[in-house]
Amino acid sequence: MDKKQLFTILAKADREIVASLSDDIQKNHNVTVVKEPAKTLAMIKLREPVKQSLFYMGEVIVSEAVVELDGAKGMGVTMGDDTEKALHMAVIDAAINHHVFTGMDILLKLEQEQKDFIMRENAMHLKTMVNFNSMDGEVPSDVNAFKKV
Amino acid sequence: MAYVAVSGGKEAIEESIRLLDYYRSGTEKDIETEAIENKMSLLVDRVMSEAGLYSRTYAALALKQCEGSVEEAVFLLRAYRSTLTRNYYTKTVDTDDMRVVRRISAAFKDILGGQILGATYDYTHRLINFDINHEDPARLHKEAQSRLAEEQPQEVAACPRVSDELKKEGLIDTFPTNDTQPYDVTTNMLEFPCDRSARLQTLSRADTGFISGLAYSALRGFGQIHPTVGELRCGYVELCVPYLFDEKETIYIGEVLMTEVECFNEADDQDKLKLAVGYGAVFGRNENKAIAMAVIDRELDNGGDYPTQNEEFVLMHGDSLEMNGFISHLKLPHYVTFQSKLDAVRKTRRADHE
Repeated sequence: MDKKQLFTILAKADREIVASLSDDIQKNHNVTVVKEPAKTLAMIKLREPVKQSLFYMGEVIVSEAVVELDGAKGMGVTMGDDTEKALHMAVIDAAINHHVFTGMDILLKLEQEQKDFIMRENAMHLKTMVNFNSMDGEVPSDVNAFKKV
Repeated sequence: MAYVAVSGGKEAIEESIRLLDYYRSGTEKDIETEAIENKMSLLVDRVMSEAGLYSRTYAALALKQCEGSVEEAVFLLRAYRSTLTRNYYTKTVDTDDMRVVRRISAAFKDILGGQILGATYDYTHRLINFDINHEDPARLHKEAQSRLAEEQPQEVAACPRVSDELKKEGLIDTFPTNDTQPYDVTTNMLEFPCDRSARLQTLSRADTGFISGLAYSALRGFGQIHPTVGELRCGYVELCVPYLFDEKETIYIGEVLMTEVECFNEADDQDKLKLAVGYGAVFGRNENKAIAMAVIDRELDNGGDYPTQNEEFVLMHGDSLEMNGFISHLKLPHYVTFQSKLDAVRKTRRADHE
């Protein structure tokens, strides 16, 4: 599991579940805080499609922390004001880096639930897709019709 | 004309601030920040957009603190962000990958990926629904959740852009990828002429009313364009930052809801062989602001004598904090300057009588 996948699951998971996974790790391993949990900002860099250039759209508040677990480092960064969750994420990340994490099955189950939720929401939105019945043959329907017009 | 410092009114000011609590207290009925965040979403979106800070919970809290004043809430968020470090810049967000919740085109009825109306007030009757007075919020939420649970999951697929099709035809110019680091108007003063990145950042966080009014003026004739909304899309984009311990890895930190618009306009070349595109992108669901931004973007590209085509006019007067701060300062004591004006008027009147 790469870091993007790991942090997607953790970011979308309830803080209680993340805390419980982290607590289990801390029962058996020595964790020291390298960077105290704190709030900071992340600036969003966006590519605009018109001229393919970059611009800063605005900032988001993120919570971050870095820990060391038996010599292996781990970090946690997540959107919002939840420094505790960022710390727990860092513990899980360190445990994975140290190859002592045993909760992978739980993460994969969470991921499935998260994907399922998004797909159900998506289904609600797709129900609002329009089926046009043109009452006028002159109306350009798509790009090719546009060329003809 | 000099400024003179005066003191006094300390107790009155303290009582005035205390009186705000009296006004804010209303009745015993509270409005929780969770309720503002989730049930006043469009207001929260507007505040976040104008503050240039995406934080639903803090925007809701700020709105509660200032009785729902948008400009005060923007001020609070801007002030708060100024106390924080900025330790991260996201990896480049590409809205091609947006998880779309609404997407329409006024240019073509059949677009690849389809027209998805999503949740919109466009087709509502705009009649006040008095039943909401007696609504059971728990029941409403439960019903919405059970509707969701009954849905058959559908894979999320990225929607191709309407403009891409026209680019393939050569009807819209295609530009090479430009990786020049953006100008940041939060850390640098605007200079004119300014970079496109400075323009887009400034417009994206501009006051909704200001740029909507400006765009309206351009459409009514004080400008050159009457665009067609080529594509309006609203949805979630993922934010990722670099992973500290391995440069090949990235960390997902969350997703933001945004609205993006591409407006197609008359040709910008002399032979009128092509269409030109204006661009708008704002936090949250805020369609008119995104369209207005796209109109203004195109007007500024055009250049000309109308206010909407004047970069300095548009970009220097639309920041919520700056405009409201400056207007608000007129309430501050101007005793000395006003006395001076009064003296001048009196002297002129005396001279006229003599």
